[in-house]
Amino acid sequence: MLRPFRLEEPESVKEVSELLGRFGESAKVYAGGTELLLAMKEGLVHYERLINVKNVKGLNEVASDNGMVRIGALCTHHQLETSPLLQQKLAALVRLEQNVANVRVRQVGTLGGNLCFAEPHADPGILLLALGATMVAEKASSKREIPAEEFFVDAYETGVEADEVLTEIRVPVPARNSGVAYLKFGYLERPSVGVAVAFQVQESGQSVHDIKIAVGCAGPAPKRVPEAEEHIKGKGFDEATVNISKAGEIAGRAAQAISDLHGSQEYKEHIVGVLLKRAFQNALGQYRAVQS
Amino acid sequence: MQFEKEVEILAPREKVWNFIWDVDRFIACVPGCKEAKTIEAGKLYSATMTEKVGPFRVEFPTTIEVLEREELAHIKAQASGADNKIGSRMKLSLDVKLREQGEKTVLGFVAGVDILGKLAALGHGIIKRKADQVLDEFAQAVKKRLEGDS
Repeated sequence: MLRPFRLEEPESVKEVSELLGRFGESAKVYAGGTELLLAMKEGLVHYERLINVKNVKGLNEVASDNGMVRIGALCTHHQLETSPLLQQKLAALVRLEQNVANVRVRQVGTLGGNLCFAEPHADPGILLLALGATMVAEKASSKREIPAEEFFVDAYETGVEADEVLTEIRVPVPARNSGVAYLKFGYLERPSVGVAVAFQVQESGQSVHDIKIAVGCAGPAPKRVPEAEEHIKGKGFDEATVNISKAGEIAGRAAQAISDLHGSQEYKEHIVGVLLKRAFQNALGQYRAVQS
Repeated sequence: MQFEKEVEILAPREKVWNFIWDVDRFIACVPGCKEAKTIEAGKLYSATMTEKVGPFRVEFPTTIEVLEREELAHIKAQASGADNKIGSRMKLSLDVKLREQGEKTVLGFVAGVDILGKLAALGHGIIKRKADQVLDEFAQAVKKRLEGDS
């Protein structure tokens, strides 16, 4: 049962930050509430105050300028899965959003809430890592950008400070010579392994110029795997296709997979490798389709 | 959940053994442990175990019972506690063994940790990882404290 709490209704980021500063750990930011309220109903956490940020203006828009997509932290998953702008600029994110949890969660759950709650079995952070996104965190007097790699600290822990508010997610628009894919594997709505790949192809059109590989869900937090990327970077497509198995082994180990009811550590490591191969082929297929 | 750890400490076995029974110094090495009390020396102790995973906090008032004791070599103990606020219980069984290895003492322990109740909703994997971290930190803290003294 949900225990009583006080609801604050600020209308600006400054007010939210001040409330967080004033009430410290007894207060928590609340947006869609799909994860936080569930945990509170279960009695796993309790806050004396919830700071409802849904009335803060300007945080639920998707915009694009200077090769960057800017997603307001309050955008719901549904808003993102149906955004024409996002479909045009970041189709891989749209596909991911179409498969987040279920329709009820997507209607009210926000991207910002998903990232800040940092539940280990969440999809968006993995793809955002591969896309080289940054998260904008604001407080009353300052604003900073946190690279996705520094944002995810551990299970349920992020780089957002206690009096900061995540306001925006900035994602560089992949160039025309890019391939991007996210694949996941799991039981019903709960992904137990997620793998994202994003690469650019050299001007010659014959080799991979740059690649980012990210894994998540299997371990405590999403993470990029530069050691796996090294086996693909600068390689021709044929060599990269051979090397992707080795990259998959490395990514599997790097995932810090945890054995649970959904699979053993070894099993999840294997699945990381399988998904990486498929995601790479998937992204390569997309690149070739755009070029032809 | 079963954990096995071993830590080599550059200190004589007797010193390590005495350290284990010095409740205040020993408890300082257990992450998140506070308010340790001796109820019956060598047999029964109490302490409060606190831990945090992101926004989730637990506080287990815990009773620790020493079941077996073989001087300078082996201790068997069990502990249990409940956090009524979040409706969860913790059970711990602990087998501690000491053996000499040249100038070093090898402190080995096998810990069985069970978390029951709502906290289990966090997922077995997350809890296991946290417990593993706590035991690692504990082992390193004991090593540091004892080697720092020598």
